[in-house]
Amino acid sequence: MATKIKKIRRNVTLTLWEQSYVPEILRGMYITLEHFFINLWGLILEFAWSGREDRKIATVYYPEESVTPPPAYRGRPVLVLGADGNEKCVACGLCEAACPPQCISIIGAERANGERYPLRYTLDGTRCIFCGRCEEACPKEAIVMSDDWRNLCEYDRSKMIYEKADLLVPEEKLAGRLAFIRDKAFGKDRY
Amino acid sequence: MSEQPKKDYDFHKEHHTELLTVNMGPSHPATHGTVKFMLALDGETIENIEVDVGYLHRGFEKECEAQTWTGVFPYTDRLDYLASVINNVGYAMTVEKLIGITTPERCQYIRVITSELARMGAHFTCLGAGALELGALTAFIYFVEAREMVWDLIESVCGARLTHNYVRIGGLTSDLPDGFAGNVKTTFKECRRLWIDFDKLLTKNRIFLDRMRDVGGISSADAKAWGFTGPCLRAAGVPYDVRRAEPYLVYDRVDFEIPVGETGDNYDRFQVRLEEIEQSMRIVEQCLVQMPEGPVNVNNPEWRQPSKDLSSGNIEYMIHHFKNVLEGIHVPKGEAYQAVEGANGELGYYIVSNGSGYPVKMRVRPPCFPITSALPMLIKGRLIADLIPTFDMLNLIGGECDR
Amino acid sequence: MTLALVETAAKIAFVFGLNIGVFAPLLGWVERKQSAVMQDRIGADRADVFGFTIIGLFHTMSDTIKLIFKEDFIPRGADRIMHTAAPALALIPALVAFTVIPFGGHYTLWGHNVNLVVADLDVGALFVFAISSLAAYGVVLAGWSSNNNWSFLGGLRAAAQMFSYEVAMGLTIIGLVMFYQSLSLVTIVEKQNEFWHWGIIWHWPAFILYFTCAIAENKRIPFDVPEAESELVAGYFTEYSGMKFIMFWMAEFVEVVTISALCVVLFFGGHHLPFVTDAELISGLGGALYPNFANLAAMGIGILTFIVKVIILIFIQMTIRWTLPRFRYDQVMALGWKLVLPASLIWIFIVGVGILSGIMPRP
Repeated sequence: MATKIKKIRRNVTLTLWEQSYVPEILRGMYITLEHFFINLWGLILEFAWSGREDRKIATVYYPEESVTPPPAYRGRPVLVLGADGNEKCVACGLCEAACPPQCISIIGAERANGERYPLRYTLDGTRCIFCGRCEEACPKEAIVMSDDWRNLCEYDRSKMIYEKADLLVPEEKLAGRLAFIRDKAFGKDRY
Repeated sequence: MSEQPKKDYDFHKEHHTELLTVNMGPSHPATHGTVKFMLALDGETIENIEVDVGYLHRGFEKECEAQTWTGVFPYTDRLDYLASVINNVGYAMTVEKLIGITTPERCQYIRVITSELARMGAHFTCLGAGALELGALTAFIYFVEAREMVWDLIESVCGARLTHNYVRIGGLTSDLPDGFAGNVKTTFKECRRLWIDFDKLLTKNRIFLDRMRDVGGISSADAKAWGFTGPCLRAAGVPYDVRRAEPYLVYDRVDFEIPVGETGDNYDRFQVRLEEIEQSMRIVEQCLVQMPEGPVNVNNPEWRQPSKDLSSGNIEYMIHHFKNVLEGIHVPKGEAYQAVEGANGELGYYIVSNGSGYPVKMRVRPPCFPITSALPMLIKGRLIADLIPTFDMLNLIGGECDR
Repeated sequence: MTLALVETAAKIAFVFGLNIGVFAPLLGWVERKQSAVMQDRIGADRADVFGFTIIGLFHTMSDTIKLIFKEDFIPRGADRIMHTAAPALALIPALVAFTVIPFGGHYTLWGHNVNLVVADLDVGALFVFAISSLAAYGVVLAGWSSNNNWSFLGGLRAAAQMFSYEVAMGLTIIGLVMFYQSLSLVTIVEKQNEFWHWGIIWHWPAFILYFTCAIAENKRIPFDVPEAESELVAGYFTEYSGMKFIMFWMAEFVEVVTISALCVVLFFGGHHLPFVTDAELISGLGGALYPNFANLAAMGIGILTFIVKVIILIFIQMTIRWTLPRFRYDQVMALGWKLVLPASLIWIFIVGVGILSGIMPRP
């Protein structure tokens, strides 16, 4: 398509009345006051009877209310705990290799029936950059990015090294993310 | 009073005065993005200025050499952190150019959509911050509100608000979510409302005009010589936009205008950015109409990631997947340069491959760096208060400039 | 004698309590909340006592407690005496200026004549300007004594700006003084007894000019170049912390109130209700039957009217502060010397012509 050029409105000419600052100040005040009174009315409505819907304000009262992250959201990486009570992870070490900041370290072991499982699975929360590479690399859907964005900060860095027990989350709690992985992210119809 | 000053008359020597040297930054309210100005002040006038960049240097280019081709993506996020999708796209396209693959059409459209959303976010932030630095906090908050809504959209696609890590070589991590077009429509309606409010608050306000107009101007010849790109170059009157000059993705199929200024001063830069937000919205709306259904990744096992079913269910695919992740995809020997239109200008990637799974050499052409280097020329002899809008409208992004 | 002392003490307590006790802390809250609602936010509302937040009012209390216990930091190389004295020098003039502002009228209570002004000076208007110009010393000294380049620059800017606007501010009300033929604020208010004699009716250009000068004098946006956050970090109070910092803050807020009060007195009829004179109000409240109570009620209504008018003007000031960007330093000076000063001189001329030709009938 041909290049279209648009000259911007640079030479704003001000009339003498506009040069006296007053009309623009009044116009600016009109805009801010419009926001002010609409928001104030919304707050009064919310306080008086109705709920969140009437509030025109963008802010969320955080601890009382919170936002629901979309299914694509990459929160804290967690290990999937299968329905049989065992983790799905087979300690293949792909996530360990794929992780760009190298925050995962795994020590694998074998169960009596010959199945491999991670004896230790350590995820260094201070180094994780939430890129989702581990989830992408994992062939078993064993590590996924949950929608958990709370409690990611600590006052002590040593508390941010997550062991396997801290990371395991039952499968049904992660159903939304697992469905997203199969449908949208790493499903069959994406290529 | 007809006595002429002596030929070797030196005011500072005669009156025993000296210039006041102050360090503006690295921790100063105006130097967001961490930069230091060493100012030599004569009263309020800036006699000399030294710009000291590099406080955010992380060795991005060296860092990439230790990552597989796919592992580089999270690091590109942190270049221009306000528009990380564009960085992702630029890097992915460079590697694709080296490999010689074309991504499916839907993927290209989604890349354009997310890039433009990211550009809107970056411009909202830049303009809002510019208003904030001039004291108009309310205008800043209106644009932050708009930016948050745009970032909500990006979050629903990419999974993160700031470091999206969305694009992959030969495709994308995920498809658009359901109901995305409807969300875009409602969000853009709100964005336009806030855009109008912002415009009314500032554009014709004489206080703002006096602060911005004829400050930090640069001629088009100078701008070209200094290596300006992006909104700063267009403000100087050169209609150069990578999206039009060397159309990539599907930019040649959408209709948009390139806003062009005249004198390259701060007011022009402000207006150009303001207009580009509107144009980005138009591009996104057109793309959503034109976008076909279909896959978002190339169907070539060598480059793409197999689906989870295949990588866990089929041993051949699993072996292939393991090799791809552990060794990285093997990009053929050679070198490539690809530029995209970043939020601040031409963002170029130059990469060298020796056929292994890791980049041998990586170089980024950051748009900010040449622009920032012209700051002393623009600001010398002006007042200290002029430094603030000039620096804001040049829009240095620390992560991109310092890498 | 004793009665007069008690009366004066009561008035001082009222003015002082209104300023320091009510307006100064409340304005901190208003500044936060009003700006927040204007900007589609909620604003600080998390400080609570037993779960009650009263829309964020406890924040001012917790701020005060926090600031009292903060370290009182004096940078190395600073002039300790001046550094400590400067905040007081900034706050006291702002408070003293309120003494000549009448917040009510004359009332006769049980045979005692009450005049609701702390000091009924014949040169009240001049006194206000004289005192408020002293505030510049506090600011300049704060900038100089901090031994910080940013503070120093801020102090210099403040000195130049405040002295320039002093001149223009004095001239803006000359027309008003000519109109009411008095420099006493009490007399000026008395002459605005009828609505059509209010200053704003004839003197609205003087109001705009005076309001501009007053905001510039108070160093609030759009004239906050001495403390321009993005240029000079925090200007002259960069190196202040704890209670000294809050004294600058309070000085600013008290001055906001003083400006509004002075505007009300000069342009908006002081304590008078529109279209109702004092005599009509007292007789309407049953002045013939219960003169004392009618007077007392009229006094209450007068004070309330005054405060409501002040609050409306404060609201306008706050709205301006949160709407506009700030000037550049040289533009502030240019505005003061090249626009406001000539405009006020022209206005004096126009008023003179108007009075002499009889177009502007003097009350």
